[in-house]
Amino acid sequence: MSNAAVGATVVPAAGATRSRTSRAAEQTARGVLNFSLGILILFGLWWLGGNFIASNPKTASFAGFGLIPTLQAFPELWNLGKLQNAAAASGIRLGSGMLLAIAIGVPLGILMGRSKRFRDLSNSPFQLLRMVSPLSWMPLAVLVFATWDGSIVFLVAIASVWPVIFATAAGLAKVDPAWFKVARNLGARPLQMLTQIIMPAISFDILTGIRLALGVAWVVLVPAELLGVTSGLGYAIKDARETLSYDQLTAMVLTIGVIGYALDTICALLIKRFSWHRGDA
Amino acid sequence: MSDSSIVAVGNAGTHGLTQSRSSVALTSMAWSTGNFVGGLAILFALWWLAIYVAALNPALSQFANFGPVPAFKAIGHMWEKGVISKALGTSGYRLGAGLLIAISIGVPIGILIGRSRRFRELSNSPFQLMRMISPLSWEPIAVIVFAGWEQAIIFLIAVASVWPVMFSTAAGLSKVDPAWFKVARNLGARPWHVVTEIIIPAIAFDVLTGIRLALGVAWIVLVPAEFLGVTSGIGYTIEDARESLEYENLMAMLLVIGAVGYVLDTACMALIKRYSWHR
Repeated sequence: MSNAAVGATVVPAAGATRSRTSRAAEQTARGVLNFSLGILILFGLWWLGGNFIASNPKTASFAGFGLIPTLQAFPELWNLGKLQNAAAASGIRLGSGMLLAIAIGVPLGILMGRSKRFRDLSNSPFQLLRMVSPLSWMPLAVLVFATWDGSIVFLVAIASVWPVIFATAAGLAKVDPAWFKVARNLGARPLQMLTQIIMPAISFDILTGIRLALGVAWVVLVPAELLGVTSGLGYAIKDARETLSYDQLTAMVLTIGVIGYALDTICALLIKRFSWHRGDA
Repeated sequence: MSDSSIVAVGNAGTHGLTQSRSSVALTSMAWSTGNFVGGLAILFALWWLAIYVAALNPALSQFANFGPVPAFKAIGHMWEKGVISKALGTSGYRLGAGLLIAISIGVPIGILIGRSRRFRELSNSPFQLMRMISPLSWEPIAVIVFAGWEQAIIFLIAVASVWPVMFSTAAGLSKVDPAWFKVARNLGARPWHVVTEIIIPAIAFDVLTGIRLALGVAWIVLVPAEFLGVTSGIGYTIEDARESLEYENLMAMLLVIGAVGYVLDTACMALIKRYSWHR
């Protein structure tokens, strides 16, 4: 009797889990559908615009901007290796610049979060330096660094160091001071404090800062590559324009958007994974 | 007797309190001014020292002009010649026009994203894709589409700054209590009234936050956009200083750009504080 009652309570539970998984599946399906439909609408509008340009004899020479020529340019760019080379060259510059920014930004951010004196004094110079538009360092960077590659990495780093610093400091400010007290009472050394308390507590905020930094670095990378170098995504765009191959130009622009979207999505997923802030968002 | 003494004590107490509070406010203001000036003084001292040490090396002696003293002198010269005010005037016009376009496109679309679930779901993937197209990669297309460089630069600024405005408008709207819309409808508000009486006041804070972010991006895009083609504006002035090897002018422009950006950012922040109704 009581067993049957237990069984009766189990059944709806099973039903609930099933409906929950099916709801999750439904939600994923809906997400995928909306994603594809959205992209489809964008491409549809692009196709219409391309047709409009191609049909007008005055603008027919710009027909390469249309959707179909652009998609046709991809296999050619891939076979020539232009796409891979440009993405790899830009990727190395972006990666080294971001790595430098993180290696400098996180310690400075922790220092800002922990020392009131440093925070008070560093605010005005850091705000001033932050608002110096990154590309205006370019002439200086070219003089200081021997190669263009070095100056581009510097420009990416100086653009992306600020979001990392400020997000790290803001994250540390949100950490409950009692944690530090508890750790000290349990005999934690400064190094253990860093690895056991600070780093796990602020990894979420650092990642948020890195995501912001990536956005800024992505904005800076292309104009930095428009000047001087002969590799990378920025150069590929300039090259396509100078050779009047408009289909390759829009193909590279689309590639930049897709790579940026992928990198941003990876950052967003990492942030979700390392988030321990429940409830408050 | 007892009444008056209570009043007197009370008065003295509140008086003493307000006095100490205002003096606390005064000390904290003096403290923050001291930190502001002290921080900048440290920055300039480090800058001076770095250039001084570098210039001691004969191979690097041409770097002496990069120091803070020549830079400040150059600011004086350039100001007298009207170079700075002219560059700021043209760049300011481009920045303002681009931001204005971004706001007038971004806010309505942001409201649409926040109000219509269908539009939000469908627009997410194309908007995210377009947002991550680095603004300067539109440059070759902008130059072909627009007649002049001037319009192309304004377009680049608008395309860079429309996304933060749009997304923070939408995020602001999603935080608005749905009950407000219900109440407004029950009180007989027309759609137009809902926009002007509920939506705009509720999201002014978020729109301003978006504008501040947009300003940051626009400031980054403005300088490289002016490297190409045009012969006016802050970007061109930097390029010009480099080509004529006037390094003191280069450093002066760096300082001016940083200071103007700082002022614009602070102005945005003050506006955000003013329009904040969140607590």
